[in-house]
Amino acid sequence: MTSQPNVTIRGPEVPNTPGSLDPVFTVEDLSVFYGDYEAVRNVDMLIGRREITAMIGPSGCGKSTVLRCFNRMNDLIPGAHIKGKILYHDENLYGDHVDPIEVRRRIGMVFQKPNPFPKAIYDNVAYGPRVNGIKRNMDDLVEEALTKAALWDEVKDKLKQNALSLSGGQQQRLCIARAIAVKPEVILMDEPCSALDPIATTKIEDLMQELRQEYTILIVTHNMQQAARVSDRTAFFTADVDSAGVRHGRLVEFDQTTRIFTKPSDKRTEDYITGRFG
Amino acid sequence: MAVLSTPKSAVELASKGRPLKEHLFRVALLSSLAIALIFLGMLLIYVLEEGWPRLSPTLWENMPSIRRPETAGIQSGIFGTLWIIGLTALMALPTGILAAVYLEEYADRTRWYNKVIELNISNLAAVPSIVYGILGLGIIARWLQFGFTVMTGAITVSLLVLPIVIISAREAIRAVPPSIREGSLALGATQWQTIWRQVLPASIPGIATGSILALSRAIGEAAPFLMLGAATLVRFNPEGVWSSFTVLPLQIYNFISQSREEFHVLAAAAIVILLAILLLMNSVAIWLRNRYQKRW
Ligand SMILES: Nc1ncnc2c1ncn2[C@@H]1O[C@H](COP(=O)(O)OP(=O)(O)O)[C@@H](O)[C@H]1O
Ligand SMILES: [Mg+2]
Repeated sequence: MTSQPNVTIRGPEVPNTPGSLDPVFTVEDLSVFYGDYEAVRNVDMLIGRREITAMIGPSGCGKSTVLRCFNRMNDLIPGAHIKGKILYHDENLYGDHVDPIEVRRRIGMVFQKPNPFPKAIYDNVAYGPRVNGIKRNMDDLVEEALTKAALWDEVKDKLKQNALSLSGGQQQRLCIARAIAVKPEVILMDEPCSALDPIATTKIEDLMQELRQEYTILIVTHNMQQAARVSDRTAFFTADVDSAGVRHGRLVEFDQTTRIFTKPSDKRTEDYITGRFG
Repeated sequence: MAVLSTPKSAVELASKGRPLKEHLFRVALLSSLAIALIFLGMLLIYVLEEGWPRLSPTLWENMPSIRRPETAGIQSGIFGTLWIIGLTALMALPTGILAAVYLEEYADRTRWYNKVIELNISNLAAVPSIVYGILGLGIIARWLQFGFTVMTGAITVSLLVLPIVIISAREAIRAVPPSIREGSLALGATQWQTIWRQVLPASIPGIATGSILALSRAIGEAAPFLMLGAATLVRFNPEGVWSSFTVLPLQIYNFISQSREEFHVLAAAAIVILLAILLLMNSVAIWLRNRYQKRW
């Protein structure tokens, strides 16, 4: 612990994160481009270990774009590239020697629309360990991951059934189980509840509280109540139009969630969370 | 809300009579369908009636003969066709599917050479089959000295069906939602693992359907074989890829050009067999398509 830099975030201490955090990611002056278009500009952020960090803001302000930088999913889009730096622990995530495939093993992702593979429930969970050549008792691994994703009791009798026969909420928890099965350190979630009904949403939120004991979670959400309910820290993004009329996303405020929702220091954050904007 | 709270009277809700145009359009559509079905039905009835006397085991047990059409069969044609199709499937399907995977999953569409390839595949699919026959004759039979063998025929037909296989496989691969690929890659799978374990299995029904339809097109072809100079009267079955051979459509063509009436009956019976093989293949394709309907 002594070697970890102690970075103080604005604002007073809150009980679960005593003002300082143990960063998994350090984002320094990150800008993300799609070809020539600079979608997001100059982001500085710290993602604390075993915390839930929420990213909120109006749509199109680059939340997904930033999220997808953390597991290098943007590499798959032709022309997408970054400027600036993301440190994963002490390592440059975009360093020359870094293998994006290895990155994605350690940093899992859950998407907006549940996307289970059109295979058996069991095979969905076993897929990640299999492609990564993990040689362990697969049955145990599958059970463990499904249990952690709070889905085991619902599916234990139908593991051979096609995953597409599950409800939307179950599918999303299956996707979480699938991510957990490769034993990542971080789980990225891009609006994981936006396609779900309120009950399924509550289940996922409860699950996130369980998961934060063991994992670092980054969640993009357009639902401010959700950010307020689940997260420890919140990053508020918005989009500015520059002198040439081009929209760029930027990070307006990053703070402990309680601060963001009670005493935001930026007028735009206040307008957004009180519903006057976006 | 005001609109909703004023109930429309029954008269207002009742159909005011569809515009005449719409009726006419429906009639036109139905009659086109009817014309197609009637012609197909007539054709089937005609060949069945004509070929009925010869639709017995002698047809597929015997070899063709010029002197005794009453007992002549088409066994060499059936076997020749099966050899050609089998070998074509072995050559054209893997090549076509891999080409489709390259074009869909790897090719950078902004590169000029990929654009040229794309454009030309569509063009090739429209080239008349006789042109492939000329190509086969000039390059494969003569220049490569493969002669008039099963191999030459199968290579020629492979080239003929390759564009169709590629196009249909590409469509099937493209129909796999990008979210499946993202899900797989996000778990640390490599691109090849993603293709091999997710994309291809998910697109197999579509690829199989397209491939069967492409092969069944090849079964009906006579022109390229005519061009290649495959013998019409072959009294033995192919024994390997370097055997000479004939195919059903060519035998039918030969029977019909004979003057004796018995040959015309034989031709009709052979047509029934050819149609039966085609219908069987197409039903497998339809069955596959329905069995594995898209589920996402
Ligand atoms: N693949 C892409 N290619 C080009 N531009 C993109 C791509 N994805 C997103 N963008 C652009 O980047 C900006 C931010 O998008 P996104 O990150 O999806 O916003 P959010 O998730 O906050 O709604 C938008 O202007 C969007 O049009
Ligand atoms: Mg988004």
